[in-house]
Amino acid sequence: MENSNMYIISVYSENQVGLLSSISNIFTRRGINIESLTVFPSEFPGIHHFTFRAITTERAAQQVVGFIEKKVEVVKAFCFPDNSTSAAEHGIMEEYLQNRNQ
Amino acid sequence: MGQRLTGAEILLESLIAEGVDTVFGYPGGSIITVYDKLYSYQDRLKHILVRHEQGAIHAAQGYARATGRPGVVIVTSGPGATNVITGVADAMVDSTPVIVIAGQVGNASLGTDAFQETDVVGMTGPIDKWTYQIRRPEDVAPAVAKAFHIASTGRPGPVVLDFTKDAQVGVGWFEYEKCDHIRSYALPAPADEAALDAAAELIDNAERPFVVFGQGVVISHAEEQLKAFLKKGGIPAASTMLGLSALPSDFPYYVGMAGMHGNVASNMMTQKCDVLIAVGMRFSDRVTGTPSHYAPNAKVIHIDVDRTEIGKIIPVDVGILGDAAEVLERLTAKIKFSFHDEWAASARRYDAVEKAKVAAPETAPDQGPINMGEVVSKVAELSGRKAIIVTDVGQNQLMGARYSRFADTRSFISSGGLGTMGFGLPAAIGAKVGEPGRQVCLFVGDGGIQMTIQELGTIMQEGTAVKIIILNNNWLGNVRQWQELFFGERYSQTRLLNPDYSLIAKAYGIRYRCVSERRELDEAIREMLDAKEAYILDAHVVEMGMVYPMVPGGRRLDEILLNKDEWYRDGE
Repeated sequence: MENSNMYIISVYSENQVGLLSSISNIFTRRGINIESLTVFPSEFPGIHHFTFRAITTERAAQQVVGFIEKKVEVVKAFCFPDNSTSAAEHGIMEEYLQNRNQ
Repeated sequence: MGQRLTGAEILLESLIAEGVDTVFGYPGGSIITVYDKLYSYQDRLKHILVRHEQGAIHAAQGYARATGRPGVVIVTSGPGATNVITGVADAMVDSTPVIVIAGQVGNASLGTDAFQETDVVGMTGPIDKWTYQIRRPEDVAPAVAKAFHIASTGRPGPVVLDFTKDAQVGVGWFEYEKCDHIRSYALPAPADEAALDAAAELIDNAERPFVVFGQGVVISHAEEQLKAFLKKGGIPAASTMLGLSALPSDFPYYVGMAGMHGNVASNMMTQKCDVLIAVGMRFSDRVTGTPSHYAPNAKVIHIDVDRTEIGKIIPVDVGILGDAAEVLERLTAKIKFSFHDEWAASARRYDAVEKAKVAAPETAPDQGPINMGEVVSKVAELSGRKAIIVTDVGQNQLMGARYSRFADTRSFISSGGLGTMGFGLPAAIGAKVGEPGRQVCLFVGDGGIQMTIQELGTIMQEGTAVKIIILNNNWLGNVRQWQELFFGERYSQTRLLNPDYSLIAKAYGIRYRCVSERRELDEAIREMLDAKEAYILDAHVVEMGMVYPMVPGGRRLDEILLNKDEWYRDGE
């Protein structure tokens, strides 16, 4: 049995009506409770940033990320344990968007 | 410069621009504007009027699966939209490209519990690939373009457009531009070279390599690439239920269907192989048995276009994200020519046991009532294996899958992941509409046909020449089988008192014949196949028929029941 820990699931997406509901459904379907949620415009123009915190296993967190990324409007999703900083993730996102734009 | 048109006209023009010539649907209050405009487009868009919206979406699914082109459904708001939900979920899990256009109340009435208003976006979001509410006429064409792009690329799936009254009646500029790029939606990239190298090395060093392929092979038109791969590597291969007909049934390396009611050879070889190559399949629990005991000796290579499928159920040694045709072609170039003759030939030993203990008694009995498998096998034989076989869900489906034999790809259409009873009849209509030149035979139970039996009206009105074979045993047979095996023969609510199907056929003006004697079976099937119009063959089959072999739920794939009291024992 895998240990449950607090994970941060970070999502960058287009700004689209109904997307929050369908992303949160991905948690609901697996019986994962969302402990906290923030949504705000990201530093990237036109792209929103969701941050979910949830107690779950690493495997489940990875699966949730995969299913969130399947949503057409989602640009990128990540998960990491709550104890690390999000600086690294911002770096990845920046690089990702630069690569896409090239 | 484009033209000024209403949103309803823009919708129809956009469909035509996407190459659509047939839609399935049912009118209603919130979509009446579109139907009004459709009246002027009858020469360019053929509309199949179904009898219930569930029929429309299953027909569109059958159309899409037979042709490879997206099926299009037009329904009204509220109940029209909720009635297609089952089909949307079905198309999602079975990767079927379907575009649903559902009417919606006016923008000002959204969220007010207006007549026939329902939260379509909220309901379909979790079960479809993309949902979009169109609120302005100028958004119609871009939304349709995106819908077709999303539905038919990557891992295909259903898309729902929630089309408000304002967007239908309002006027906007129309100029159609196909969509080939969405910033947040990445198309499958070329597969990773390092992963291909790692896979090729595993395959080259394997003693007992084995392929299990799914519908991904059909969707990505990878049939020839798969054949070349199997030939070069000398690798035996099994199909999932939805992968059936991707390889001809007599292809030398093909060992049969995998899973719960699959062939003994396929399941035993899965457990014994040392390298398992999964192509365009998703390790459904109906394929794997207990996942923790699946292919215990194998290194696993999983090729899929959907990243979330890789490693979801079965941990992989090498995951290859990409399109099956491209991956197989590149992988074939990398692997060495190999022979695994002894390993591949072991299939024949398993086949011999299965034939003696299960298949021969099922398909060629010398006495007693007609068997389900016997009917299926005869239809395959007498149709020259050329028909598109459509099934409903249950024993008819398992028998249809087990005893049909295929020459051509896209010849097996069934509801796999969702297991939707009632799928068969409308899906067969859609398949025939899409492929009018091919014979379409439906196997359906006496239970399942009654779930969507109203679609006989569609057949009557459209003259769709579907051949309907009712495997009629007066039971909900598959549940009854489970009750017999696992619930102490307590037949709770599975006995059916059926209507007189001859009178039903008569009411709809459809040719009908009942067959209950073996000596009449061949001739009855010939008469059905020769008919130019729709035909119902009501086959009265053995009442307590069972589908074997069977890997009971929660068992390993090598724990196979050959009949009620006999497990398969290896080496006999």
